[in-house]
Amino acid sequence: MLGTQASVLPRRGGAARRRMVLPRAGGHVTVGHVGSSDALLAARLTAGDDHALGEVFDHFAPAVLGTALRVLGDEAAAQDVVQDVFVELWSRPGRYDPAVGTLHAYLVVLARHRAVDLVRSELRRAARQERSHRLAPGEPSPSPCEEVMAAQAATAVRDALRLLPDSQRVIVELAYFGGLTCREAAKAAGVPEGTAKSRLRLALAKLETMLDRELLESP
Amino acid sequence: MTAEARDHALPADLRDRVIAAALRARGVGRAEPAAPEISPAEAFRRAADAFHGTLRELRDDQWRAPALRGLDVQGLVGHLTGVEEDVQRCLTGDPAVAAAGHVESTQAAADRQAGRPPDQTCAEWLRAADRTIALVRTRGDPRAEVAVHGMRLPLDLLLVIRAFELWVHENDIRAAAGLPSSAPDASTLTLMTSAAVRLLPFVAARTGLDEPTSVHLVLTGPGGGTWDIALGRAAPAPAAVAIVTDALGFCRLAANRATPASLDAHVTGDPDRAAAVLAAATALALD
Repeated sequence: MLGTQASVLPRRGGAARRRMVLPRAGGHVTVGHVGSSDALLAARLTAGDDHALGEVFDHFAPAVLGTALRVLGDEAAAQDVVQDVFVELWSRPGRYDPAVGTLHAYLVVLARHRAVDLVRSELRRAARQERSHRLAPGEPSPSPCEEVMAAQAATAVRDALRLLPDSQRVIVELAYFGGLTCREAAKAAGVPEGTAKSRLRLALAKLETMLDRELLESP
Repeated sequence: MTAEARDHALPADLRDRVIAAALRARGVGRAEPAAPEISPAEAFRRAADAFHGTLRELRDDQWRAPALRGLDVQGLVGHLTGVEEDVQRCLTGDPAVAAAGHVESTQAAADRQAGRPPDQTCAEWLRAADRTIALVRTRGDPRAEVAVHGMRLPLDLLLVIRAFELWVHENDIRAAAGLPSSAPDASTLTLMTSAAVRLLPFVAARTGLDEPTSVHLVLTGPGGGTWDIALGRAAPAPAAVAIVTDALGFCRLAANRATPASLDAHVTGDPDRAAAVLAAATALALD
């Protein structure tokens, strides 16, 4: 049975001190940095070990920040992605499965997804805003901060756009930067609507690949 | 290009900002996902159910297998009947059981099982466990102190310790009968690990671990969590050790059914001090 012999109050000066030495090699106890295994780190995060969170951050945050920065091209937005990634890992550690891949890969892929989501969200917001301006020009302008964010996000995508074939780039520019519907973009480009849709799909797939390429080359 | 070359230098304040945000989203120490919370009385009831389930698996010859302290399985079940009887006396206000020895006081109940049919032993224990559960229901404040077998502690903590005891002896019996070991459900195990951690400073003091020691204990798996425990004398800069091990393994250690050397643990800090902490944990057991 588990229990205390006399009371749950501490008692001092009892039995002689018991000492033993843990095996250092070949035994079950490992002495040293405990963060050597992704599975162990995951188990510690699941157990609410804040030391593990600090170790994971120290080890992987530079890669996470680098990934986010390559997609977004903006330091402040990339730091927000770093925060999102580590808050997500700490809040839902069970979503990382060490059997599927390394913790490094999981965090970097999570960072890339968050960053790409941010770009898409900004593009959608910018497109909505532009349409809204055309319909209601008297409405208040976006804040300087919002304008900067939209411009930075758009810049990252524009860089990738330059690498697309002209036929696809034109459709993307008309649809996303020109704020046209697919039908309007097709008419403006002088191609059938089905062709425009097909080119838009291909272009978006290529854009995503291009935004991910550096990441995919990493080990 | 290597991953390292493409990594980015971190701003000075980013670490603090990110970790603060993470800890706002989920506090330190709590397992995620957390096991459903249950009361200590429910943990005891579940442990009793599991114990009864194991007894019902046994063949007659397995009841006579040597189990613990010279007792066969039947005698060990008798010991537990004796414990229930003492706990019931405690719950009904009999002060005589406060200082009674856990083993000595129950020896008669263990001895009287000799020669009985196993069904009779099983039925007697079941009635005793049911009566304990019924008496607990009639008690008022579960935080009120009770005293039995040299322990003075809140009723809630006693019930968790009793659930712990039933699980430990259930596995003594399963080992004696050649059955695979069992594990409590995560909710019960959570209460058990919390109780063991709560009692650790007291048993550490009793075993003579009085050097100032700060223990960062991480118990992984179901029933796990993280605790920072101060052991020994208060001091401004105690020796710091971190121990990471499996929650179930730690419970076996606390029940003195595993040794520190056999525990699969990861230790940082002074290994001697960590070994002393783990050795102290084994002193939680009364048997």
